[in-house]
Amino acid sequence: MKKHLVWILPSITGSVLIGIWYFIIVIGGQPDYVLPSPWQILQACVNERHLLIPAAYRTGFAAIVGFVTAVTGGSIIALILASSKWVKMSFYPWVLVMQMTPLIVIVPIFVLWFGEGLPSITAITFGICFFPVVANTTMGLVSTDKNLLDLFKMSNASFTQEFFLLRAPYALPYFLTGVKIAGTLAPIGAITGDFLAGTASTYAGLGYLVQNYRSQIMTAELFAVAFVGCLIGFVFVAAVNFIHWYLLHNWHESSLKTDH
Amino acid sequence: MENANDTPLVTLKNLHKRYGKGALVLENIDIEVSGTEFIGLIGPSGCGKSTLLKLIAGLTPITSGELEINGRSPAAARDRMSFIFQDATLLPWLTVHKNIQTTMRLHGVDKRECALVADKMAAVVGLDKVKNFYPRQLSGGMQMRVSIARALSVSPQILLLDEPFGALDEMTRNHLNEELLKIRSMEDWTAFFVTHSVAEAVFLSTQIIILTANPGKIFKKIPVPFPYPRTAETRESAEFQSLVGEVSHHLRSVDR
Repeated sequence: MKKHLVWILPSITGSVLIGIWYFIIVIGGQPDYVLPSPWQILQACVNERHLLIPAAYRTGFAAIVGFVTAVTGGSIIALILASSKWVKMSFYPWVLVMQMTPLIVIVPIFVLWFGEGLPSITAITFGICFFPVVANTTMGLVSTDKNLLDLFKMSNASFTQEFFLLRAPYALPYFLTGVKIAGTLAPIGAITGDFLAGTASTYAGLGYLVQNYRSQIMTAELFAVAFVGCLIGFVFVAAVNFIHWYLLHNWHESSLKTDH
Repeated sequence: MENANDTPLVTLKNLHKRYGKGALVLENIDIEVSGTEFIGLIGPSGCGKSTLLKLIAGLTPITSGELEINGRSPAAARDRMSFIFQDATLLPWLTVHKNIQTTMRLHGVDKRECALVADKMAAVVGLDKVKNFYPRQLSGGMQMRVSIARALSVSPQILLLDEPFGALDEMTRNHLNEELLKIRSMEDWTAFFVTHSVAEAVFLSTQIIILTANPGKIFKKIPVPFPYPRTAETRESAEFQSLVGEVSHHLRSVDR
């Protein structure tokens, strides 16, 4: 009963929303370029597939590259920050400053440094994704249970034993929470990235298509891009959630209540 | 047992402890424990009971005085000691069987030997049926059993217990008390047991040490004369009740 409701209820609300959408079009009589109908958007998806599919592929690829860079870089930064409280006190505020700086202002600088295309887009995705990884992983690494540390000390555990057998697995759920957030941000980062730093010759992803359609007031096609972007986001989140579940489902509370 | 009963196993002489520049936590502690005693440490909150255990374990340095275990410093004698904490301190990503092996693995015991001993210990504490469970699947009492099995797996000479059953309900606590004594009758270790429960201290110990608070000083050492094995019936005897009353009385007077 409950299992079916998970599918049925959203289907009903979705249908109702589409109904309202058509109703507004019929009542308001807006031109297509202001509010296209869902059917027109679907048509745009099909008609523009020769552009949408390669663009989606590029955006997806940029999201993956940016995501992997952010997770790797973020973990390394977290390891350094967690290595001593002095290091953390000295550098954590600067990580925060980096996070607070509006990315859009930095983009021209990135483009200047790395050139247009994938390198800049990766840098932008990194900029959007890295902080949750850093914050959560650092938190995980420094909050190891004091008694467990004492237990390891009692057994004269070496530094590497303490790290790999205790601190690292203890930080894993925190790290994965950061990874999950980074995963939801990565496609957004990639689309923003090629919106701001993609060109037809260097990297024509979904963001570039948005620029293109916008200049021609192709509203249905813009909706189509949004739809494809949403799909990429879904795939990303699903993949990251699966990793989270796979690594933690045996032992961690956070994985117990989620349905998979 | 390598040391005869007349040479002290643990000696604390004129021991003082303060953390950093803070107030004195323990003042002038003299304890001599020989043979296979079971010491119950009891006192009001802030009397430094837990600190005393950490000192013996070598987890925090003494400020002044003497502390020797078998003629060695606590840090050097660590390999012959096990610590059991108030919470079970299990590694949630490992099964019960692997958790029991943690300490052995750190001590460098070989893999197959570890598994064998873990099997044996699981049987001793009654965990054979849940060996492949993860800690979160166990009740608090069961988790504590895993912790006990892990501590005993390295055949310690001294067992340090910091309110191990404090978070459990009374039934489970009594039950585990009886089992702890049963295991001890087979294994022979010296115990330092911190607790808030007078009945528990009386039931387990050969000697109860009452501490005062701020700073922690020894108020009284009370021998517990009941012979082992002690069972659930021991608790119901008049002598037991009267000793519990006596210790409670002392405890009230230091808590003032």
